[in-house]
Amino acid sequence: MKPLILCVGNRYLAEDDTGPRVYDRLCAPPGPPPEVAVLDGGLAGLALLPLLEGRPRVVFVDRVEGFAPPGEVVTLRGEAVAALANGYGHNAGIPYLLAMLPKVSPPPWPEALLVGMAGEPDPSAIERLARYSIEVARHGLDSTRP
Amino acid sequence: MTTQRIECHIPLNRVEGDLELRVAVENGRIVECWSSGTMFRGFERMLLGRAPLDSLVITRSICGICTITHLTAAVHALDRIAGVAPPANAVRMRNIALMVETIQSDLRQSLLMFLVDLCSPAFAGHPWHTEAGVRYQPLRGTRCIEAIRETKRVLEIIALLGGQWPHTSFMVPGGVVYAPPVIDFQKSLMLLKQFRQWYERTVLGCPLARWRELTSAGDLDAWLAERESQREGDVGFLLTAGRALGLDRLGIGHGHALSYGALEIPTGSEVVGTGGCLVPAGLVRGQGDVEPFDQRQIAEHVACSWYADYPDGLHPMVGITEPVASGAEGKKYSWVKAPRYAGLAAETGPVAERMVAQDPLYLDLARRDQGISALTRQLARLTRPVTLFASAEQWLTELIASHQDPFYLPVEPLRQGEGVGLTQAARGALGHWVRVENGQIVHYQIITPTAWNGSPRDGQGVRGAWEEALIGTPLPDPDDPVLAGMVVRSFDPCLVCSVHVVGGGRRVLTV
Repeated sequence: MKPLILCVGNRYLAEDDTGPRVYDRLCAPPGPPPEVAVLDGGLAGLALLPLLEGRPRVVFVDRVEGFAPPGEVVTLRGEAVAALANGYGHNAGIPYLLAMLPKVSPPPWPEALLVGMAGEPDPSAIERLARYSIEVARHGLDSTRP
Repeated sequence: MTTQRIECHIPLNRVEGDLELRVAVENGRIVECWSSGTMFRGFERMLLGRAPLDSLVITRSICGICTITHLTAAVHALDRIAGVAPPANAVRMRNIALMVETIQSDLRQSLLMFLVDLCSPAFAGHPWHTEAGVRYQPLRGTRCIEAIRETKRVLEIIALLGGQWPHTSFMVPGGVVYAPPVIDFQKSLMLLKQFRQWYERTVLGCPLARWRELTSAGDLDAWLAERESQREGDVGFLLTAGRALGLDRLGIGHGHALSYGALEIPTGSEVVGTGGCLVPAGLVRGQGDVEPFDQRQIAEHVACSWYADYPDGLHPMVGITEPVASGAEGKKYSWVKAPRYAGLAAETGPVAERMVAQDPLYLDLARRDQGISALTRQLARLTRPVTLFASAEQWLTELIASHQDPFYLPVEPLRQGEGVGLTQAARGALGHWVRVENGQIVHYQIITPTAWNGSPRDGQGVRGAWEEALIGTPLPDPDDPVLAGMVVRSFDPCLVCSVHVVGGGRRVLTV
């Protein structure tokens, strides 16, 4: 299976639409490169688990806060994201999803990474996130930072 | 004896969306309560001017959990406008998707959100406390992990029927968008049976048929004493711990139970329903008989909600959602409106479904507890799958046999008309009221289950359902409101649905 870029967020809420905007950019002509799959994960949270299974690498794209100033691309390893999980709620999100993945899905588990940005990115920042997410999906954290 | 009255906000975690509770406490018990949804949703306004079919895509994003439910309500409303009765196979497919979403939600809410409270240090003296930690501790509890693993599998049914995961919009006016290959129905049936067997083995601790034999509170007591597997199941654990905590005496609210009805019986099906639905519609006032349901009896009040005032309540087909966040501070305190049925602050959800269905077990529990208690409310949720499995399996079997029959009837473009889409979400009664003119949506109002259960006061000053249910709840330490939390969670609140954007799964990370 191809590496997956999984864009998450709420496209109807400006403060949480970074992922969907990157998804739209990646799907705009000419579309993503053929060796990478792209999906809009929306608000599905824990329901995204089946989409992770069998993938060599999954790159989440989402808004993040508290890691870097707005406009700066943030990259986190899945283990660091999972460590942020506490309890379950309808809004448990990526940390809970990644914390539960090895407990409920059969191995091998994908290399999970998160690419994000704080604040409400402008179009040029969305462009950088889109390009960088493709590079991370292809090469993991060996990718050159934008 | 002197009485000390304090007023405070109590923190409630593990509630979907933004909820604030302000309570007054005397002698360690809640004597007054104000429940506030703290965010404006705005989907109704977002839909104005759009093409009718857009509602199928947009409203499912109101909540990350109840996507199929909102899709169901939206498509029912558009079916009415189109004047079409979808073919039996489409009804079966729609029903099964909704049932699967409901079953997974009931299990996750019970095992991952409600029973987690039993791990609270406040209950450390109870003999079951250590075991509660083993089973339900967040991220590590054995039953939490099992529940996620099993519900993940059963959700594959929606992916198979919907042809896409996530974000399926496979329901359209006139039916469903395609006829899945018969192997997808066979695989769905296998997944459902496997899930049902896990549920019987670990959640109930007995076959479904044994549970269905229970017709009184005494039967339930006997069932609990009957067999170790039944005491060890999650239902038995809930009953044992819940009774020890007095949850069978807490959370008793107004006592009015409302169901819109859901899961239409398809033409030619062997499944037997009431009034054309598997989940019957109706209202039960206290211990009274079932009254027929009439959606024209619904009105929304805004006397205590942050919306432009109008006198009395308005039916949702003429309802107004005009946010006004200033003025009348103190009197207005929530973004949730106050829906009322025939003027009553009714509660909705699985226990209301059992009351309206006149299930003798729940009628007797309500008699014994002198109302619907938090424990009975949660018991109804954890055992609701019992009422759904057989019919879902039957409908899948019928789909396998009739897969060459139609799944869709062509409809004309939706230019004009009014439609009401009513169903039962996991959390209770959900309605969409839609008017279309010149091919555009000109009116859209949504009343969610949590709007019923978590409403603020109405124009008469009557408390909402869980505001009322919280009265009398012990709150010795406002910083540790675990029992108050359990009372509210027994309603399975989903504030992102009830307040008019979001939150619906905000995954914003903050360190």
